[in-house]
Amino acid sequence: MNCEWRERADLYVDNELEPAAQQEVAQHLLTCGECAAVVMEQQEFKKTVRMAGKRFSAPPELYAAVRKEIHPRESVSPWWKWGLAAACVALFAALTFSLYTRPRENNPILAQLVDEHVSMLASEHPVDVISSDKHTVKPWYQGKLAFTFDPPELDKNSPFTLIGGNLVYAQGTPGAELVYQVRQHKISIFIFKSSNAKDQSSGPDRALSFTMKSWTEGGLHYYLVTDATKEDADHLAALFQDANRS
Amino acid sequence: MSGLQNKDFEKLAVPLLDSLYNFACWLSGDADEARDLVQESVVKALKGFGSFQPRTNFRAWIFRILRNTFLTSKTGLERRNTIQEDEEGFEDSVVSQETPELALIRQADHDLVQAAIGKLSASFQEVLLLADIEEMKYQEVAETLSIPIGTVMSRLARARKQVRNHIVQAASAKKTVGAKS
Repeated sequence: MNCEWRERADLYVDNELEPAAQQEVAQHLLTCGECAAVVMEQQEFKKTVRMAGKRFSAPPELYAAVRKEIHPRESVSPWWKWGLAAACVALFAALTFSLYTRPRENNPILAQLVDEHVSMLASEHPVDVISSDKHTVKPWYQGKLAFTFDPPELDKNSPFTLIGGNLVYAQGTPGAELVYQVRQHKISIFIFKSSNAKDQSSGPDRALSFTMKSWTEGGLHYYLVTDATKEDADHLAALFQDANRS
Repeated sequence: MSGLQNKDFEKLAVPLLDSLYNFACWLSGDADEARDLVQESVVKALKGFGSFQPRTNFRAWIFRILRNTFLTSKTGLERRNTIQEDEEGFEDSVVSQETPELALIRQADHDLVQAAIGKLSASFQEVLLLADIEEMKYQEVAETLSIPIGTVMSRLARARKQVRNHIVQAASAKKTVGAKS
């Protein structure tokens, strides 16, 4: 690779540049396919490593032991509460896991997108392009995706705020993930080129712990994943549908 | 140490337990040893918390304690002997990565990636774990490992390259076997 920006592209992926330089590289990526491909590949690689590398979680007894070290003078009796709390957490985790893994069998793409949403929530750098301005976020996808879409205009009174976007892959297909904030919750809207010309849509599904919704509009397939309420999910989905109605 | 300081310590340390335990598991390769390492490190950090400077990086500080605790353990001493060998012949530039086969990386399952991380030598593995899994900045990794930032960058580039190569080779081999059968 010969582009003189190549070294800065590496630092860009690691978010190690000053904000102005970070923005400068982002602009360069819009015009340099070579660097854009390298950045895309590295971001994908980092995500793969991060998800695979977070392999072990501290067991409840370690939490209990550590808290005991920190507060040695407390009587023994409060510790049963920690045990109970840990048991509740374990039970909740098991229930969530069983509900959460269910769509894997029925709808692998939804399961994969829930993974992407959870990964975004857990990440310190949840979005690759950070902006509340749709006119910054939308152009960021130019040259990265073979389609375009129109995020809705949000007025001052809108409960939703655009946080930014990511490039994602599901079943080997590139797509966009737009991340919105509503109160304390985040909503991911995933957009992929639809392989089926016929409109498909499904309403919110609360049985899967996350609210999920999908619809097809203008040859694109939209998936919404969030822990926010069904009303919020419906509201944002309607805004997208209005903005992209042909 | 006062009760207030203990509470401050708890607020900072407890949210890091999962990350510390994950790091300890990768370093030691053993769940029981990892649990002991984290507990011992927390005790050491708690004892030293009185002298901890509030403006410095707590995460880098406690990860450094954990890493030093590991290096003085039996397993750590064994692994330490391999570090010097890994450094020999180190020539790769930070920017010398080839673009690998993206599709293979995307399709790589967790087992394959975990195997690739597990194959790294100690000095590369710890940099990759801190930078790519804990999402630490180069400066924070350098503080944790007490090495210059330049070394962090070069080790990280080398570690990523090795993981990439492993994934691409293993995934290609898998594909070839699948195609033949």
